[in-house]
Amino acid sequence: MATQNEGGGKDEIKTQFMTREGIYKLMTLSEYSRPTRGAFNGQGNTPVKVSFITLNDQSGTGDRICFNIGKELYFYVYKGVRKAADLTKPIDKRVYKGTFPTCHDFNQLTATTDSVMLLVGFTAGQVQLIDPIKKELSKLYNEERLIDRSKVTCIKWIPGSPNQFLVSHVSGQMYVYNEELPCGTTSPHYQLFKQGDGFSVHTCKTKSTRNPLYRWLVGEGSINEFAFSPCTKYVATVSQDGFMRVFDYNSMELAGMMKSYFGGLLCVCWSPDSKYIVTGGEDDLVTVWSLNERRVVCRGQGHKSWVNVVAFDRYTTSVCDNEMLDFSGSDDDFNHMPHANTGLLHEALRTSTRSNTSRGSSKSIDSKGVNMITSYRFGSVGQDTMLCLWDLTEDILRMPVGRHRTSTVVSQNACGVSPKSNNSVPSQNCVTNMTLDNAVPHHSSSSSGVTTSLTQKFATFTLGDRKEKDHDRKEHKRNFSLGSKNNDKVIRTIDDSLRLLGTPSCPRLDDVLLLEPLVCKKVAHERLTALVFHEDCMVAACQEGYVYTWARPGKVGLAQQHTVTTPPQTLPCQPPALGSTAL
Amino acid sequence: MGANASQLEKEIGSDQFPANEHYFGLVNFGNTCYCNSVLQALFFCKPFREKVLQYKQQQKNQKRETLLTCLADLFHSIATQKKKVGTVAPKKFIQRLRKENELFDNYMQQDAHEFLNYLLNTVADLLQAEKQVKTRASTNGTVKPEPTWVHDIFQGTLTNETRCLNCETVSSKDEDFLDLSVDVEQNTSISHCLRGFSSTETLSSEYKYYCEVCCSKQEAQKRMRVKKLPNLLALHLKRFKYMEQLNRHTKLSYRVVFPLELRLFNKSDDACNPDRMYDLTAVVVHCGNGPNRGHYISIVKSHRFWLLFDDDIVDKMEASSIEEFFGLTSDVQKNSESGYILFYQSRE
Ligand SMILES: [Zn+2]
Repeated sequence: MATQNEGGGKDEIKTQFMTREGIYKLMTLSEYSRPTRGAFNGQGNTPVKVSFITLNDQSGTGDRICFNIGKELYFYVYKGVRKAADLTKPIDKRVYKGTFPTCHDFNQLTATTDSVMLLVGFTAGQVQLIDPIKKELSKLYNEERLIDRSKVTCIKWIPGSPNQFLVSHVSGQMYVYNEELPCGTTSPHYQLFKQGDGFSVHTCKTKSTRNPLYRWLVGEGSINEFAFSPCTKYVATVSQDGFMRVFDYNSMELAGMMKSYFGGLLCVCWSPDSKYIVTGGEDDLVTVWSLNERRVVCRGQGHKSWVNVVAFDRYTTSVCDNEMLDFSGSDDDFNHMPHANTGLLHEALRTSTRSNTSRGSSKSIDSKGVNMITSYRFGSVGQDTMLCLWDLTEDILRMPVGRHRTSTVVSQNACGVSPKSNNSVPSQNCVTNMTLDNAVPHHSSSSSGVTTSLTQKFATFTLGDRKEKDHDRKEHKRNFSLGSKNNDKVIRTIDDSLRLLGTPSCPRLDDVLLLEPLVCKKVAHERLTALVFHEDCMVAACQEGYVYTWARPGKVGLAQQHTVTTPPQTLPCQPPALGSTAL
Repeated sequence: MGANASQLEKEIGSDQFPANEHYFGLVNFGNTCYCNSVLQALFFCKPFREKVLQYKQQQKNQKRETLLTCLADLFHSIATQKKKVGTVAPKKFIQRLRKENELFDNYMQQDAHEFLNYLLNTVADLLQAEKQVKTRASTNGTVKPEPTWVHDIFQGTLTNETRCLNCETVSSKDEDFLDLSVDVEQNTSISHCLRGFSSTETLSSEYKYYCEVCCSKQEAQKRMRVKKLPNLLALHLKRFKYMEQLNRHTKLSYRVVFPLELRLFNKSDDACNPDRMYDLTAVVVHCGNGPNRGHYISIVKSHRFWLLFDDDIVDKMEASSIEEFFGLTSDVQKNSESGYILFYQSRE
């Protein structure tokens, strides 16, 4: 492929790049694709998505990967950065006719070494449940397309549930299924169950319980993706109407919303501590939204086209405590989880994704508010074939909204409000908390200096592109006089997206910080469609059907360290490196 | 043709068919799809259509035939059809066009953007000339041209800022535009292309800038940003690039995505309406591999529907199918159906 030289030509594909934690390297032998490599025409096909599951395998090769390419679905042992991929032996491979896989999800709760439950959504609206290890299981939902005829956009097991899952469609609807229930032989009849601003929830009106259990109608146009918060209390949706909506999943209340600067929102991800949501969309921006404050915190500009995927990197998250770092990983870690009211959810969280307890950022906050995440890392990939990494530092998160940024830096950990109460109650109580937070200015050692420099930084951000480029615009006749007024403006009711402009849900461009990426590299020939962070690597997939693995700094060719419990990869507590957000 | 038309009516459904709306294909008179596609796009730019129809009402007794009267007759004939769907032949308009401009007086494929440019400027000139005749009659003096409804609809203002690198003095000059022509790059969005349009350019060596303050030629930085956002934003993607070694134009089929909803990033700090929200209303699509070959079609939004006009054929399409007209990610293929002129209508 491309050379190892980072400083190559403009359009060259990068095989390594540097961040402040070190050099990330593309592991060419760890590339996953269909067994017979060859030109795959990705044009007009469904995006290649990637799902992982870690099985409790003593040999240390417990990771499994699932990805879809066109009409095919593959299931392999994932050897990560340690060993070359063996593409000749997929554990399972499926080829579909007439309908193509679009997305998939493993049930983390029920997975064992010899059995996993994998949900697959399809272009024609159907859902299949398979076991790619045992291969016996195969159940179809919405088979006759009586529930929804449109493409499945996202599918997820409901956190902590062994049998319930949520499916979103292009039609703008989401359905809750129970894998054990039938879908019926007739179209479901619904009755209204709950309603709110821009959404409604319906139940199925039948004598015997059947699928779907619930139907959610959200916004206008396709629901492009949804994500459950790591604390399991919330689900966030992003839609073609440009709205990100956060719902309390159990009470079905709208807990907050945000509007893109313009265009549809395509992807959404929660921070590991469930405090922030990042979205990406057709405005080429990534947007960070705070659940506590119900406001857009900042936007990020770096992509040259639509942002397909955003993902938090929970392994590159700075932890700050005022006394000490606590890596013990006790059960206390879960105390902060807002409203995790059932033992089931607790249990699910503990056993779920890639063993939280030994790695992580989730331990970085506890109920006493001693340890706080001070800097978040997230990544984004887009239709521009670029990968961007972003640092979300403490100072950015504390930046007050509005053009006047002379206000004091406010620290939330100083006021002693536990994140639990901050997170759990929507609207009214939230306001109270915010007032409380803001009322206690914190004398951070670096606060004033940092604020000043940030303000200056902000000024340079708005100056726009420095790129030098020729353009020979076509000349038009310009013999017209200036300042013609539009006399016949049609007065019509201002719609939501116009009304929201200038509010915390959709600030004007100049009203919030516009971040620049820490890293912005072209890493593929085709549109990028997936991005997943692991402890020792980063995985990205492109439309052509390749799944790339990038080793983290110092993780190249690592032997068996994977099974050893290592302290999470965090930076020492320090004033956030502001320089990293600018070029 | 008839079958297609009734099919469309059936597909939309009589109860869903918008009142007073007509979806009529335009007959091709030998490579006139460049013209048909632009006319359809303009017909579905509501303020433009309204003004043209108003003009028709006001000019009932006009004797002299102009491109504008032909356009008004054509729009009027579509708007007053008894049927909801069908075809009309823009014969008179094409004849007039060929008579007035030798560029279009042949049976070759023409550049749709050149045609749009010509049409808008011609209509504006005609309107201005008519106004001046009236004004002169009443005030008997020389008056500078007044803006017309073409300007009200399409005209925006660019501000051209130049900063002398020697004395740091910034001078700015405003320029009006009826559409913006932007360079295209592979795997980008229209927003990115617009930002590229407004990126800073350094004027050096033989392109040095004469600074009034330094009274000499100096190196300078220049950028052009939008100061007044137009009511209807027409964006031309420069997909035809002259290749020196081939001695001809080649098509850049790059994939350039465009959203249904758009705001601009490349506006000046003093822009008067910087947050204008635009909705995509029409796209002229070029199919094929060169400017003088291939075919033009247009996709338009009418009420809640997206329609595809391919000369005399009209089809309903899904909004999700618009992505088929973004272009190709493969640099090898040149032959594509890709967005060429985008029409964005301001929401407020
Ligand atoms: Zn000077």
